[in-house]
Amino acid sequence: MSTAQFLPLRFNWKTGLLAPGLLLVTSTAVFAHNIEKHFKVEPRSVVTIHNPSGKVVVKAWTKSEVMVIATHTSDKVEVDAEQTGNRVDVMTHQISNSISPEDLRADYQINVPEDAELQIHDDSGEVSVANVLGDMNVETVGAGVDLEDAAGYLTVRTVGGSFQCIRCAGRLEVSSISGSFKLLSLRSYHVHAQTSKGNILLDGEFLPNGIYRLKNYSGVIEVHFSPGDSFDLSATSLKGKVNSQASLIPPAHAHPVSKFGNAILGTFNAGHAKVELSSFDGTINILKRE
Amino acid sequence: MTTVACRDFLDRFDSSDSPRNGSPADLSVQAHLRHCPSCRSFVEDLGKIRAAGAQLAASDPEPPARIWFALRAELEKEGLIRDTPSEVPSKSWLAELFSGKFSVLPRPVLAGGYLAALLAIAFGLSGPINSRINRQRWLDGTQSSTEPLSAQLMSAEKASFSSWPASETPVTASLHQNLEIVDNYISLCENSVREDPENELAREYLYEAYQQKADLLAQLNDR
Amino acid sequence: MAQAGNAAAFERLYRLHNRRVYSLCLRMVGNTAEAEDLTQEAFLQLFRKIATFRGESAFSTWLHRLAVNVVLMRLRKKSATESSLDEMTEPDEESGGPRRDFGMADLRLSGSIDRVNLQRAVDHLPPGYKAVFVLHDVQGYEHNEIAEIMDCSIGNSKSQLHKARMRLRELLHESLRDRAREDRKAAGNAGGED
Repeated sequence: MSTAQFLPLRFNWKTGLLAPGLLLVTSTAVFAHNIEKHFKVEPRSVVTIHNPSGKVVVKAWTKSEVMVIATHTSDKVEVDAEQTGNRVDVMTHQISNSISPEDLRADYQINVPEDAELQIHDDSGEVSVANVLGDMNVETVGAGVDLEDAAGYLTVRTVGGSFQCIRCAGRLEVSSISGSFKLLSLRSYHVHAQTSKGNILLDGEFLPNGIYRLKNYSGVIEVHFSPGDSFDLSATSLKGKVNSQASLIPPAHAHPVSKFGNAILGTFNAGHAKVELSSFDGTINILKRE
Repeated sequence: MTTVACRDFLDRFDSSDSPRNGSPADLSVQAHLRHCPSCRSFVEDLGKIRAAGAQLAASDPEPPARIWFALRAELEKEGLIRDTPSEVPSKSWLAELFSGKFSVLPRPVLAGGYLAALLAIAFGLSGPINSRINRQRWLDGTQSSTEPLSAQLMSAEKASFSSWPASETPVTASLHQNLEIVDNYISLCENSVREDPENELAREYLYEAYQQKADLLAQLNDR
Repeated sequence: MAQAGNAAAFERLYRLHNRRVYSLCLRMVGNTAEAEDLTQEAFLQLFRKIATFRGESAFSTWLHRLAVNVVLMRLRKKSATESSLDEMTEPDEESGGPRRDFGMADLRLSGSIDRVNLQRAVDHLPPGYKAVFVLHDVQGYEHNEIAEIMDCSIGNSKSQLHKARMRLRELLHESLRDRAREDRKAAGNAGGED
């Protein structure tokens, strides 16, 4: 089912001509290894990507095919892609025991059908996914994650990498220690975003019956709303400030959380969605959209 | 009678997916259901089955005690259990559980399984906070569970540090930096809980910080 | 502590999770004797393997994965021929695969569903469907957790759940029709006696 096309190696002579002494040192560095593979898949295929370091760019296309283009400069790693049933596994193998971070790097460009399910693991580098509507699980250490027009069940975990999600729908769960999040033009019905040190910005639609939970330890949580939005708000910062521009109807009964720290609770318009914001000692701002 | 529209609807309808309110898929589902009583009853039936499933769990009986007795006997026979359990946990059973028994933490394991159990134990102690007896139990439990836990995580961290290669990669450097961030939050949260043990939010933050630390240490050990 | 072989820690772990594991086993096999046996087996495997737990998933997810595997292995042994997990989740028509009988859309499951009948219907589900239904609708796991427990994709979990519910609907309808038939028969006999 797969077609492997191996592109020829390219050797950059210009660098080699600098000085004879430099030839040996530089020649390995400028080898670029490329592979390109195509896999025919059925609907709802699963694509897994394991890449310790480098860029992973995934885009949807209309073909029932997964295309993998991988590039790396070092010969201490090997990139590979193989298919088992309706699942395509893409991975970077470390061949040598002693390897520098630069040598470990491999970059991928992958095209998938829009209903593909993705599982991506990339420690450092960048991960970007566009127009894929299947479920997604992304884990990184320092790599930033960028999703655009994604849908489905999206789970993202980073340690320090930032996260940006534009026009995403479905269900979103993102967690980090020090990464910051930007959730823009969101159309999700369930958002759970938690970071310790990072900031969180949420600017999107509050869907009826939607749940939006944002949590951090320190930093800023900022939520934008429009006059036509409708949500039930609970915003608490144990040691920090909570500021709201929303005119809220206060709750009928005292909320146990409001005993501790600074809290703003109430209903905006009919309270169709649920917005829960919580910080240990950070600042929470609920601001009217310009 | 089944029409083409019904077949098309049933082909596309998936009861396991929550429809995105206002999404095109949701709108087309709603539009068909408004005009088709057959498909409406089909969707309602699936909803009833889902709701009835949730009720099933409520009727589940308690597992009989003989399961544990048989299991314990087998574990002792296989030498997996080294000492006999106490019949009634005393007030300071948590302190007993932790004191000196963590002397050698198996490195590959770290806090994952331990922590899940310890957190569950700790949360198990926190009942309704307005009960004076529970409050006392909570204060005792918090002190005896969090202090040894914190100490054990620190010693696990030191043990792991000693085996890391001299040269750091950007990834391990990032993990170390984030470990420091989490340690800082643990310290802040511990102070907060000590000041205000009734504050459930502060406790929640503290336990989540421990969980984050355990996850980070596990990631570091995996490298 | 449990990894160091401490009995009190083992017992505490057991008490924390036994109810859920027992409930899962009971729903899967339908009788208490076998459910007890399977619960014991699941915890035995857990405690044998606890040293290998590396925290890559939540502990309860890991435990439930062990429990589901223990149950599915037992069910596989019980079936006449050796089946792959795929076969157990994609039954053919004869063994009761879900048929899209659109005509049944006209019959409504009126009122709430009787617990006993539902359990009977669940007992008739193929093992893979049963596992996903029990984990999701009965025990409340999310699809990403079920995917980890069953070692399948999230999409697979959703698709199996939908099929399980459709199959349950067919089974419940059959049960309703059987009952209606018996009621008519009983009424006819009573009339005859008069």
